Amino acid sequence: MFRQKIALVSLLFLFQAVSAQSDTTAIQEEEEDYSMYDNLDFVDEAAKRFAPAKIKGISPAKLISIGYDFQGSYKITAAAFGSSEEQTATVNSTQGIRVEANIPVISKNNLIVQVGARLWDINYDFDQPQNLKNKLLTTLNQNDLASVGLNTTIYKPLSEKSFLLFKISADMNGDYAFDEFQNMRYTRYSVAALWGKRPTDNKQWALGISRTYRAGEMNYIPVVLYNWTSANNTWGTEILFPARAHMRYTVNTRSMFFLGYELEGNSFRIGNQGLASPDQNIDELEIRRSELRFRLMYERQIKGFLWLSAQAGYRYNYSYNVDQLDDGDEFFRGFAGEQEYIQENDLTNPLYVSFSINLVSP
Amino acid sequence: MKKIISIGLLLFAMVASGSLIAQEEGDKLIGIWEPSHGKAKVKVEKIGSKYYGKIVWLKEPVDPETNAAKVDKNNPDEKMRTKPLRGYRILKDFQYTENNEWTEGTIYDPENGNTYSCIIKMTDENTLDIRGFIGIQTFGRTDIWKRLKMQSKKN
Repeated sequence: MFRQKIALVSLLFLFQAVSAQSDTTAIQEEEEDYSMYDNLDFVDEAAKRFAPAKIKGISPAKLISIGYDFQGSYKITAAAFGSSEEQTATVNSTQGIRVEANIPVISKNNLIVQVGARLWDINYDFDQPQNLKNKLLTTLNQNDLASVGLNTTIYKPLSEKSFLLFKISADMNGDYAFDEFQNMRYTRYSVAALWGKRPTDNKQWALGISRTYRAGEMNYIPVVLYNWTSANNTWGTEILFPARAHMRYTVNTRSMFFLGYELEGNSFRIGNQGLASPDQNIDELEIRRSELRFRLMYERQIKGFLWLSAQAGYRYNYSYNVDQLDDGDEFFRGFAGEQEYIQENDLTNPLYVSFSINLVSP
Repeated sequence: MKKIISIGLLLFAMVASGSLIAQEEGDKLIGIWEPSHGKAKVKVEKIGSKYYGKIVWLKEPVDPETNAAKVDKNNPDEKMRTKPLRGYRILKDFQYTENNEWTEGTIYDPENGNTYSCIIKMTDENTLDIRGFIGIQTFGRTDIWKRLKMQSKKN
């Protein structure tokens, strides 16, 4: 009798389990009164809403980017320093590969932390390199400039409308080879901190301060963020002044044009290979390299999450001066400082093109 | 022989009851949820043995360009671009695995028309970690959804 009961209960369980698992993949669409969802509360009364990091219509963030940058022909006049005389040379082109990655490591409503890395190579192709005499030019001819950096971006919403944004970067820039890094003490740090508001889904703005090398040498400057998208999602701005500012025209969510500029810069240590210093008492040199890139940019989806980014524009040299930094110790000149450069160099301004293949973020 | 049959049935029953417990666990996903952006509410239902989530509320239900109800205009499939967003299933094909996780599903983002692989993790009974990703989970983003309930009546 007991066995029969067990068998009966078992059969009932089995029937229930099988009937519950029967798969009705056809999805029945039901008429539903959606107004019943108008007034809902969080079950967890302590739950809060936070300002999302992105606004509607903004261009997709790039998780991984592999690109190539090419500047056309221009002239460089390297000033005299030490026993090197002033010399003007023609650079046929400056080009290099650019690889970047930005991976979100914490992604929550109340905190987003993203870690990034980049690797840039900048190669100078001189016309008639055998005639180069000035040590700066011979160094650039012999060694590429390289920039390797790590960065962290932290987005911390404070409420449904306000947020904080931090960015910290550590870059090692110089004429070193990738298999022979320069000393860590030459690492250059940049920091930005902003407080902002996100009044609507179509607009966010923020104000802050930064310690930056965008102008080539270390400086403290205010920062303004202003991202906006029109109601019909056609026009917008993506601005982080003074680093970059673009107007955006959205053809559709898979195709966008941008018109604007980027200020690109950093401090590159030279002489790592013992070439830059013309005299033993002049060493520890850094090129304060900064350029403004006025550009038209086009970004479009290739397939799935792969996007192409292509840009063309005018590269305007903002700074290519050289400072001497004993032991790599940084100093502050700002816009009004009177410290003299070791070299004040001039570059003419070429057209440039750049393109990249990108894996974009969800 | 009867003994063998009984043991067999008992084993079936244990497996079946385990399956039922798993289903009950899986059904915790059913309900109405709000994504972090607060622009929509999503109702999760069970259809067959899988879980689906559809948009039941939009903060801005009208498209300012057309002055009509928003449709799925960013869908890569042209035929879908006239389908209303309200009622659209953005979570599809989730299956409960274990440890408060639902896998094998996808999430659709109507703002860009992309569909991502997705894994759902319930961190507490009223909170979901929704991770959309590309290929591997490293290349993804987690959004936190909160469970909603009907407003309590006020005096």
